[in-house]
Amino acid sequence: MTEPKGSQPSGGDLNRRDFLRSLAGVGGAAVALQVLDQLSLDPEQAISSYEAQIQELVYAEGTNLETLDVLERMRVELRRALQKKPEERRWVMVIDLRKCVGCHACTVACIAENKLPPGVVYRPVIEEEIGTYPNVARRFVPRPCMQCENPPCVPVCPVGATYTNEEGIVEMNYSRCIGCRYCITACPYSARTSDFGLTYTQANANAEGLILSSDIADNYERASNFEYGREYPREGRNSPIGNARKCHFCQHRILEGQLPACVTTCIGRATLFGDANDPESLVAELIASPNVMRLREELGTEPRVYYLT
Amino acid sequence: MAQAVQPQESVVPPTEAPLPRVRFEWRWTDVFWILGIILLVVGAPGMWQRLTEGLAPTNLTSYVPWGVWVGFYDYLVWMEVGSLLIFTSMIYIFGDRLMPKIKPIVLFTGFTIVTMGLLIVLLDLGHFERFWHVIVYPDFGSMIAWMVWLHSSYLLILTLELAIVLWGGDRFKSFLKPLAYISLPVGLALIIVSGSIFGVVAARPLWNTASLPLMFLLSALAAGSGLLLFLIVVFWQNKQSDEYVRLVKRVSVITRTLLLAGVFAAGVIAFTMLYKGGGNPTRAEALNLILTGPYWWSFWIVHILLGVLIPLGILFTMPSKPVMAGIAAFLSSVTFVAVTLNIVIPTLVTEELKGLATAFVDPKLSLDYAPNLMEWMVLFFIFGIGAVIFGLGMRFLPLQSHHAEESHE
Repeated sequence: MTEPKGSQPSGGDLNRRDFLRSLAGVGGAAVALQVLDQLSLDPEQAISSYEAQIQELVYAEGTNLETLDVLERMRVELRRALQKKPEERRWVMVIDLRKCVGCHACTVACIAENKLPPGVVYRPVIEEEIGTYPNVARRFVPRPCMQCENPPCVPVCPVGATYTNEEGIVEMNYSRCIGCRYCITACPYSARTSDFGLTYTQANANAEGLILSSDIADNYERASNFEYGREYPREGRNSPIGNARKCHFCQHRILEGQLPACVTTCIGRATLFGDANDPESLVAELIASPNVMRLREELGTEPRVYYLT
Repeated sequence: MAQAVQPQESVVPPTEAPLPRVRFEWRWTDVFWILGIILLVVGAPGMWQRLTEGLAPTNLTSYVPWGVWVGFYDYLVWMEVGSLLIFTSMIYIFGDRLMPKIKPIVLFTGFTIVTMGLLIVLLDLGHFERFWHVIVYPDFGSMIAWMVWLHSSYLLILTLELAIVLWGGDRFKSFLKPLAYISLPVGLALIIVSGSIFGVVAARPLWNTASLPLMFLLSALAAGSGLLLFLIVVFWQNKQSDEYVRLVKRVSVITRTLLLAGVFAAGVIAFTMLYKGGGNPTRAEALNLILTGPYWWSFWIVHILLGVLIPLGILFTMPSKPVMAGIAAFLSSVTFVAVTLNIVIPTLVTEELKGLATAFVDPKLSLDYAPNLMEWMVLFFIFGIGAVIFGLGMRFLPLQSHHAEESHE
């Protein structure tokens, strides 16, 4: 009854081992060729060639972007949106809760991108436990700034240091902010935090030549961030120390044609970003689906962050 | 011979002539500046930390951004404006003829408390060196902008009134009445705006009620009338006079009426909020935190027992006994701070989104808040400044010399 060695199985009788072997053969060759191809280029060239391909797609007529990886599709759509006037864009974020695995990579990427100090977090991932043991389920809810259309944090600022820009992103003017923290109390999503001027390494011991002492270790933490397109070195008590801080959809990256850090690092492609005013865009398509919800909608804040459930 | 000796005598310096000695006389009011210096010394380390390290050493977090300092600020606003609203209304609206005798003390107390309030709110800012931004770039859509403007205006009016009362002479006395009339709406607005700072925040259900600013007004009047009664009992000069007992009784009646009205209004609001059918669970949770949370004693024992029930008992049974009325007034006005702290803190330590406090573990991303030693030391320092100002004022300003005058108007 056993199949003789060397016999060719018919298409319908392809067993699992042979299927994997053939797949590895074909796929492996393709990957190897790609790797060889990439290795023959220097990294700079590889990146610029990739960027050129993305740029080509921005102008290509009739390309079906749905065949691309969502990250590439979003980058093409992002660059397409940047061709429009700022007031014609409407940036939204879509978070697919069914895909989020709670790895917190987005939180970490955001901290690295914006060089956030202790006590400041723009995008924590809330872990929700639903039900009672043993009938429990777990859900992960990333919570960036909602970039509300009616932001409660804006009108409460006594000096107009926070405002909605023409693209709909709620921004901070760190140099104007007096640090009264009224906006923090007014945000229904606790999406604003206070910069107390702390560093992660400040408790490190100092022993020159023996360990990476705190005065050296915090060099990275003292490096400037580039939020809102400006350089903010962390020196003395200068801003943003003493200010309220918040997620800004990585505006400095967007303007350079890059997706927000949390989007590019999401391992499950659960966080999506784009221009909702582009009817062809991925996010426009998703926010029209019936399984969309927004946090605390009853407050009328009209968040620009949508969750797929 | 005598003429020959005269030039010699003129060369000798008159060192042996006895100099008139200035004797320092202690007054009981010196206790204020002495206590003030002690508080300044005790509070200095905390103040140093505040000035050199900002808000980092406090127990404030990103999720509980306001704490004991904001609570004390509101308390001081209630005391200062509440007492002056009652004082000014009694003189200029109800024509009370006894009140003007204590005017300099009441105005000076108000001035001291207003200054302390401004200092506290200044130190609560992440960038206090930018306080002038509120004057130069104000956004009047914000209640805090209104608060700063009204508070500063109130301080200006009060300073002018005080200066005229103390040094104005007859030339400027005619300005007192218009200034007092202006102070009424400004004071009223300051209290309502202080309440609205919390009342307009839709994100915090316990604050977000139309009744909160009105409760602020009622509470300010109750706390302020207690302070006024206390000032009368302590600083009235002729305590043997009938008019003293009459005035104490009058203000006692006002204080107990306002206390009763405040308790009644707060009770009605609390019962409405705690109603389970159709109520707001977040609001009820924050309210329950006040009533039964870890700091339940600050509400039930400090405020309700010491600040309301005992003073009410005294003021209803012994309104004509000034010393007892003074004790009641002291208890009531001092313990009102428990109310403002209970308004500010429990609401903020209630989670807005379930699970947020454990989403990212960091000491500054916590919902646990209780003021630490540094925060108390800064408060001691501010109260030290207030006590020194008051004590020096009592010694060097003619605050009690006007007592004999019937009225300045």
